[in-house]
Amino acid sequence: MNSLLEQFLSEARDFLQGIGEKLMQLESDPTSNELMVELFRFVHTLKGNSGLFDFPEMTRVLHASEDLMDAVRNGRVNYSQKLADQLLDAMDFVGMLMDEIEATEKISNKHAAPAAELTKALRNLLTASEAGSESSEIDDILNEITQTQVAENSIDWESLPTLNLPEDIAEQLHAHSLRGDSVFWVEYTPEADSFFKGEDPFYLIRQVPDTEWRNVVLNSTVENLAEMDVFNSVASYQVLTHAPAEELEDLFRYIPDEHRRIEIPALAFVKPSGNTDEHAVDEDFIANVFALFDKDETEEVTRTINTMLELSAPDLWSSSALRWVLRLIEREPENKAAQRALLESLRTLQSPDWSELKPVEVIATIAPPVRNAVVSTSNGSNGVVDEKMQYFNEVINAQREILNLSGFNEGRLKSVGASLIGCYKSIGRSQDVDSLELAIKNSLVENSQDLLLKWLDHSLENAPELVVAEKIAAPVNNLAMQNDVKFGRRAEDAAGRKADEPNAVTASKTLKVDQEKIDRLMNLIGEMVVAKNALPYLAARAETVFGVRDLSREIKAQYAVINRVAEEMQDTIMQVRMLPVSFIFQRFPRMVRDISRKLGKEVDLVLEGESTEADKNIIEALSDPLIHIVRNSLDHGLEQPDVRIAAGKNGTGKLLIRASQESDRVLIEIIDDGKGINPEVIKHKAYEKGLIDEATMERISDQDAVNLVFAAGFSTADVISDLSGRGVGMDVVRSAVEKVNGTVGIESEVGKGTRLYLSLPLSMAVTNVMIIQSNKQIFGVPMDMVVETVRVPRVHIQSIKQKQTTVLRGRIVPLLPLNDLLASNMPQLPNENDEFATLIVRVHGEHVGILVDDFRETVDIILKPMTGILGGLGGYSGAALLGDGSVLMVLNPRELM
Amino acid sequence: MKHILVIDDAATVRLYHRGILENAGYSVDEAINGIEALEKALVKPYDLFIVDVNMPKLDGYGFLKEFRRQDDALQSPAIMVTTEASGSDKQLGYMSGANLYITKPIKPNELVNYARLLLGETL
Repeated sequence: MNSLLEQFLSEARDFLQGIGEKLMQLESDPTSNELMVELFRFVHTLKGNSGLFDFPEMTRVLHASEDLMDAVRNGRVNYSQKLADQLLDAMDFVGMLMDEIEATEKISNKHAAPAAELTKALRNLLTASEAGSESSEIDDILNEITQTQVAENSIDWESLPTLNLPEDIAEQLHAHSLRGDSVFWVEYTPEADSFFKGEDPFYLIRQVPDTEWRNVVLNSTVENLAEMDVFNSVASYQVLTHAPAEELEDLFRYIPDEHRRIEIPALAFVKPSGNTDEHAVDEDFIANVFALFDKDETEEVTRTINTMLELSAPDLWSSSALRWVLRLIEREPENKAAQRALLESLRTLQSPDWSELKPVEVIATIAPPVRNAVVSTSNGSNGVVDEKMQYFNEVINAQREILNLSGFNEGRLKSVGASLIGCYKSIGRSQDVDSLELAIKNSLVENSQDLLLKWLDHSLENAPELVVAEKIAAPVNNLAMQNDVKFGRRAEDAAGRKADEPNAVTASKTLKVDQEKIDRLMNLIGEMVVAKNALPYLAARAETVFGVRDLSREIKAQYAVINRVAEEMQDTIMQVRMLPVSFIFQRFPRMVRDISRKLGKEVDLVLEGESTEADKNIIEALSDPLIHIVRNSLDHGLEQPDVRIAAGKNGTGKLLIRASQESDRVLIEIIDDGKGINPEVIKHKAYEKGLIDEATMERISDQDAVNLVFAAGFSTADVISDLSGRGVGMDVVRSAVEKVNGTVGIESEVGKGTRLYLSLPLSMAVTNVMIIQSNKQIFGVPMDMVVETVRVPRVHIQSIKQKQTTVLRGRIVPLLPLNDLLASNMPQLPNENDEFATLIVRVHGEHVGILVDDFRETVDIILKPMTGILGGLGGYSGAALLGDGSVLMVLNPRELM
Repeated sequence: MKHILVIDDAATVRLYHRGILENAGYSVDEAINGIEALEKALVKPYDLFIVDVNMPKLDGYGFLKEFRRQDDALQSPAIMVTTEASGSDKQLGYMSGANLYITKPIKPNELVNYARLLLGETL
């Protein structure tokens, strides 16, 4: 993807986010002018950016949004809930288009209709408030499209515009048409306020390729010049072109409703013109020609007509008609009817009515003309010079306009001087520069821009070749050039070049980096941390195996340095990956608003601790569970306003989402003041679903009952709503959180509310594990699962229903030998005092003892998930490389049981 | 090498202009609003300014007005590029000190041609 597009997408997403946020803020503060201005600026810039690319659907929707926001900003339209909804929809649509662009680099045309719908809806909001209902432009577009399609085949002479073309142009177009190039008549009528929409009629009409003729007509007469609104467009622009229909379609695609295109048949150009004051052509001559014509003596007809033409003045209408007869004989020899009609017209001096004539098959008999010749006759000079002069004129005229402004401003004058010098140098008139510089100097001394203005006028008068009237050879913009510009490379080495320039100031202090690069860096530093751990082993070997103590000491000293640097590096890279939780929090205002509106509930959302940071992976893993929880709270937790009021609570429910950091973990709480969870209901539900037996139901504590919502296959909603009951329950939330070594808990009080909390590690990069030994192998167990380590004497182990248990501080703790869990069929080995090393771990809130052979130290490792076939292995959360190069398998006690 | 300062709050537009102008052989610096532009323009002399209108903090008009007041600065030409194409804005642009007023999006060859003209180089 080209980097300009990439930049656009990345920036556009920021803008969409900003627009969403501003709209939310506006909701609570609907009169804030500051917010509206900012909102407008976002939409405006986004539209401007999209205009750099060929995404008409997106630009259109944004344009309509911009107009709407402009009206809101200026107080012409009142901000309303409906308006906000509509704008949010529009932004969602734009976001969707951006997803598509990101994936395919283009927008499929299936979005044209929705885009038109959205534009219509936005415009309706605008017109509804501004001036009652107006017929919508989109309907007009649709109508027009169908109309043009209907009128494809048969020529409707009635609908053709009246053409009064100079004969040479008509002749050219006639030739084009016969050659099979469709000739189109295009009429472009800019909307009255098109100036304010950034349309540029002149520019656009100059862009029409292969134009042979242009015309401008006024749509309304200007009665009183003093009252004329100069910003109101009152003109229509008409052109005749033989450019392909697709090109025209493309050119006018942004304003389909403001232009009309009609294909002109060849005969329509056959329209003699000239002086009809003189008497009609001699009847004898006409009769003579007809006689020859009827005998099919074409050569004779041609000769006679040529003689007549030599005798008559060329500007006569009849001469024009005769020339046309000759052309028709040459170009359409089979079309006798047309030739006859034209000859007939010599008697009436009225152009034939071609609509009465049946069109005949056109046989192209004309060789393609030499195009350059056409241009040079109408223009007299070559196109490159013209284009250059056009730019020159444009800039010079702007300078003149500036010099005509009232009020003297030295800086402005200097800049005009610099511009003029540049222009004159650029077109190779350096000889004028000396006198120009003098004029500038004098102007500055006299504090008057008139001197410079006089110089300019004088210079232009004396050099008429500098002033070129705008003619046919308008600069045809080479769109292909856009592709030639190599944005990618330039953008990349821009940074490097900056550094070379001592004066350059850094453009921005923030750097956007591809996540892949950071991940790679993370992996590399992980490997380095492991590699450096080999040094202590090496030092030990140097001493014990080779007996060189000094070397061992040096290695250890070096290790200390490397260790410090590596740890610092690791820390820094981890910092880079840290994201504030606001990254996920920011979507909640919108979501809560949408859902609560859908449910008819009133909710006051409070976000706290948005700047709390955690690793990107953690934040991302948190996103879905959090959304699910918030949905649940809104759907099941908070009650309808009337229910709340009946219960003596405020009609508006409160939802608090709070993030905070607790040592090396992030704590996220979702607290609502809703109806809470009734443990009795949960118990019965769980019993019905077979999750607990009758005995458990009797003695289970309320807290344990509430925890049952995390059990797999549990869903309390009687009616599955489309909000929360999507077939996933809280068990999915729990497993998603546990996947990133997080825990989830719930506290609830009936009638008061519910507090759900997620506790997550700050980073997943480094895991602290305890190494244990069992069956002559070592394994790691994540420290955050380990509650304590104890040694249980064999005599304290009791068997209940064939299961081993022990009593630890008054609690019955089930004991599971690790060898049994791993199915290795070996008894666990006690120590010399006949005590078993027992690891107490917390699994789903329960304490369980795992019997192992021995404990070892705890280490920090880079845990890599297992891939391939091993990835399917249950019971392990991954593997890690130890400093001595051996592999440590890390157990996942949750899966083991 | 001629130095051009591109002033626009939209990074996409800055990148667009930078790509075009660097390709044409100019050295390009960027500023994200009028304030930053002033800071840069008063440290380093630029040969041309490409100025957006609507920017936070200090807009294009404000930048040009303030910059054109500076006696000590090199008063190079400025092209104002904007989407707001009404005549009053153009007047205001010229009043503030723009030397050319163009409606976005500007085509690459147009921008280059204007730059060449204003910088005294052959088209």
